Amino acid sequence: MWLFHRGAVLLATALFSSGLIAEETMTVELTFTPDLNNGRNVYETCASCHLPEGWGSSDGAYPQIAGQHQQVLLKQLLDIRDGHRENSIMYPFVQERTIGGYQSLVDVVTYITRMPMHPRHKQGPFSDFSDEYKQGEQLYQKHCASCHGAEGGGNDKTRTPKLYGQHYPYVLRQIDLIRKELRSVDPVMKGGVDQLSPEELMMIVNYVSWIEVPEGEKAPSANWRNTDFY
Amino acid sequence: MSQKINRRKFLQTSAALAAASVAAPGSHASEMDQAIKAPAIGSNLSSPASLPAKKGPRVVIVGAGWSGLTMAKYLKKFASDFDVVLLDKREQFVSCPISNAWIANQVNLEFLTHSYVDAAKNNGYIFISATAIDLDRAGKTLYTTEGAIAYDYLVMAPGIDYDYARIGVEDPEVEQQLRMHYPAGFNSASEVMAIKHKIENFNGGTLLMTVPTGNYRCMAAPYERACMAAAMMKQRGVKGKILLLDGNNDIRIKSEGFRRAFSEYYADIIEYESSAGITDILLEDHEIETEFDNYQFDDAVIYPPIRASRVLENFGLADPASPQKEAAIDPYKYHLLDDEHVYVTGDSRSQPFSKSGNTAHSEAKYVAEVIVAHARGEEIAWRSPQTMCFSGVKTDPLESMSIIAFYKFNEHEKSFAFDRVHLMEKWSERSGQAGLAWAEGMFRDMFYS
Repeated sequence: MWLFHRGAVLLATALFSSGLIAEETMTVELTFTPDLNNGRNVYETCASCHLPEGWGSSDGAYPQIAGQHQQVLLKQLLDIRDGHRENSIMYPFVQERTIGGYQSLVDVVTYITRMPMHPRHKQGPFSDFSDEYKQGEQLYQKHCASCHGAEGGGNDKTRTPKLYGQHYPYVLRQIDLIRKELRSVDPVMKGGVDQLSPEELMMIVNYVSWIEVPEGEKAPSANWRNTDFY
Repeated sequence: MSQKINRRKFLQTSAALAAASVAAPGSHASEMDQAIKAPAIGSNLSSPASLPAKKGPRVVIVGAGWSGLTMAKYLKKFASDFDVVLLDKREQFVSCPISNAWIANQVNLEFLTHSYVDAAKNNGYIFISATAIDLDRAGKTLYTTEGAIAYDYLVMAPGIDYDYARIGVEDPEVEQQLRMHYPAGFNSASEVMAIKHKIENFNGGTLLMTVPTGNYRCMAAPYERACMAAAMMKQRGVKGKILLLDGNNDIRIKSEGFRRAFSEYYADIIEYESSAGITDILLEDHEIETEFDNYQFDDAVIYPPIRASRVLENFGLADPASPQKEAAIDPYKYHLLDDEHVYVTGDSRSQPFSKSGNTAHSEAKYVAEVIVAHARGEEIAWRSPQTMCFSGVKTDPLESMSIIAFYKFNEHEKSFAFDRVHLMEKWSERSGQAGLAWAEGMFRDMFYS
């Protein structure tokens, strides 16, 4: 195990009662203590596609999941499991019969969030001297920073994804899917996307891809391998 | 590659099309139907197939395998105004991927079997069970056993046929005997079922299995199948061996893993011989001749080399220079070099991509976008298909290894080569489970969501 850290992860789940008595939403909070050893074992289910390093692919076929916020990862797994995020191919992988229940989900997201990120993710075509970059930066600060953070770091508590380090073609494709209503997201996010033109969105995504990944979150080199799997 | 020329040609064509549609207003569908000419083979076939009037550009897809099914689904998803018609001569789908796991009873037949009616209903296209019999490209009409169908775009995804001549079998009598007694199991559920029965009833002696040369369908499958059959023999306590004759000079893929599996689990069952290309088969003597040796066998599963489906050749689309008789297509856009309205995808494509379900699936998603872009006068950037492949080495529970790879055009070799290859040759139960989840996800994508 290359990293070990214990901490409790809170999981909130909303249940809709279909009984005759109560019809209002009930919130049940469950607390799990992550088990990183089990997280590693569970990750074996994911590793064939997401790779042992969780770095995704530079063409955007797979996202970089390494280093993403725990709650963001958990939300995506639950959304896909419960059909709120359409992903037919991943759907069977996140069902309880394959990946396990909440404990396993907590274990695996804890494992993934501690994986170091790819030191050279795929960036957009416009570097930091270009007008497109500068426009993208302005648009980002105006439209996106309030949720995703001035530095693109996202927010674990509000389940807002970390954007820095993500492959440019992946983010671009997700934005395109959201725009075409092929991926449903939080209404605030959808509203933001609808306000902007495809060119503006592209410049924002380009800018985000050039935000520096903090040193401590990156793997030492692109040749780093997750020895848990080799 | 001549992408610029293609782009210019494409712009000219779409300009010409735009001009034509301005010059000839009126019901496009009925004009196309009137323009249908009788095919060479029979005048009755020129009557139009019973189809509702088309509501948008019509794409006809020949072949409802992994490529055709994915293409039909994503065309409708990317362009709901498209009128998509998917054809297959079969009435239902039985998956070739994961069929080795079925042979070894790790999944049941229902896991592999899916309904074209479900697929069409859930994805909003039309499925017709019919065989394509002739093509009039000038008149943009496909003739089928269910009648003539006018198209705006035609996608040929007919898959493969076996090429017995490449292992020295020229006599049709011998070929038929081989197809009947020693089927390869890569082109129909009946063949796979016959192989399952064969292995279940094998009671000792030598069971011959062969690996072809060339770009055959499912590179890892012959090695995986040897493992699955050996596991079944072990379970039943059958005293016998599997002779795995490989026409190649080494195991083609996941070689380290398969070699380790052969020696760790099946050392007393699997006998692997490389560089054992078949030169002749003596049916009556139960003997197979290779370049270096002759081998006796009691029963056999003989996988000959493959070629693109004969229908491509019958329609005059096969490139005579292609050793596997594939069509000459634009390697990035998949249309015929002289016809931007006819596309060839899946295992009959000419690019040397791995002939696998996942490759065909990821490719079809991209080509669906290419066709939609073409219809709208747009262009999209090339994306590599993705080869994702799980191979079982051990059963009860199933344990698998995996590989994921993409492709990149090599300018020196003037060909595509593997790119970003990730191999996981350490098999595990989790990975076995992941392989089945992968298949379930693919079926879900093609049929149910």
